[in-house]
Amino acid sequence: MANQIKGKTKITIDYTRCGDGVDVDPRECRACLKVCKPAVFLLHETLGAVEENPYDPKKWRITALWLDLCTRCMKCVESCPAGAVAVTWKE
Amino acid sequence: MCDLCMKHGAGGKWYLNAEHYSNQIVEKYNLRDFLMEQYKNFEQISVRKVHGFNAVGMGYKLRIPIIGRIVKHTAEKMLHSTNPPTNPFKAEGHIGQVIPLEDAIAILETCAVEPIIEKNCMCRYMARGEKEACCINFGVMSEIIDKLPRFIPEKDKYFLTRKQAVERFREHNRKGYIGTIWFGPYPYINNLCSCANPECAGLRPRLDYGIKSIYKAEYIVHYHEDECNGCGACVKFCQFGAIELDRVRKKITINLDKCFGCGLCRHACKQNALHMAPRDETPGFEKDY
Ligand code: SF4
Ligand code: SF4
Ligand code: SF4
Ligand code: SF4
Repeated sequence: MANQIKGKTKITIDYTRCGDGVDVDPRECRACLKVCKPAVFLLHETLGAVEENPYDPKKWRITALWLDLCTRCMKCVESCPAGAVAVTWKE
Repeated sequence: MCDLCMKHGAGGKWYLNAEHYSNQIVEKYNLRDFLMEQYKNFEQISVRKVHGFNAVGMGYKLRIPIIGRIVKHTAEKMLHSTNPPTNPFKAEGHIGQVIPLEDAIAILETCAVEPIIEKNCMCRYMARGEKEACCINFGVMSEIIDKLPRFIPEKDKYFLTRKQAVERFREHNRKGYIGTIWFGPYPYINNLCSCANPECAGLRPRLDYGIKSIYKAEYIVHYHEDECNGCGACVKFCQFGAIELDRVRKKITINLDKCFGCGLCRHACKQNALHMAPRDETPGFEKDY
């Protein structure tokens, strides 16, 4: 079962630094996806993108999905070349 | 037998009931359009809100008293649904079971409908951004995937004969990938996967949140202690954390409650100390699915 880390973790991706807001394609970088041991992140197409063009490279972004499984190791923050990931929490 | 077999197995295992693989089911429930829509949008499903709810931060919702129970109950009801599928953005009627190599071979040799293909695993792509061709599809599902380039392996030949499919599955299984078979959506079976924890989105609800998204196999491991030399090779093959090495005694201990019956530990054991036995004939585990 889930590790019970105290309090709630908040993880944000700055889409003005990586993803569909800018020309940084998370499918090329993938650094945060690779370093996260519990696989907290999801790589996905933005909502509605498919109806327009399912293969448009500018339509992909990362969302932190399984927040409660985050161990707060900070590897994603350290490895992100765009400085787009922030991990914070309240005890 | 698990309750899936009781309800849908026609006297045997549900996934060896060839009816579930037939093209007639696809036509009857109009699943061609449904599956096309679902796979076109596949990576979005967990972030798309259905009835005002998506999977982002789901673990925290599950911790809230009462609400957590409702969320869990709603998720299980959706996954176990046997109503005609209506919404391609929901994992309706998407329930699976762990299977060992032997049963996967039986499926590929006798039940799977051609054409058979091997596509890039969606879960590994969503979780790691890696394209790995290890997911075997049948029949109409193969035709649909063939129209969605991002699932098609770049280098590998992806249309397979039955014999090639068996060989590919065997390779994945020996490498330590967990065999799983799924309704998707009920009553159609079209996906034979080779999964990994924590990447697999079908195993995660069960392993991390206790939601029955997948059943344990019809088998459970049986350990012949006398044969074991304590080499420890099996420990890392068990992705369910059921095996521990006792370095002093040079033997392993198996937590049978954690064994999902995948049979992978056997591939690691050169001493032939690990075997599979029917779960429903193993005292204390007859109903532990
Ligand atoms: S802090 Fe560590 S565990 Fe949490 S999301 Fe980042 S890499 Fe994953
Ligand atoms: S590490 Fe940073 S730049 Fe790379 S995919 Fe993740 S969020 Fe984007
Ligand atoms: S003990 Fe063996 S059969 Fe049981 S879950 Fe682990 S690897 Fe699979
Ligand atoms: S692989 Fe076989 S011999 Fe080695 S520790 Fe496991 S059961 Fe014992």
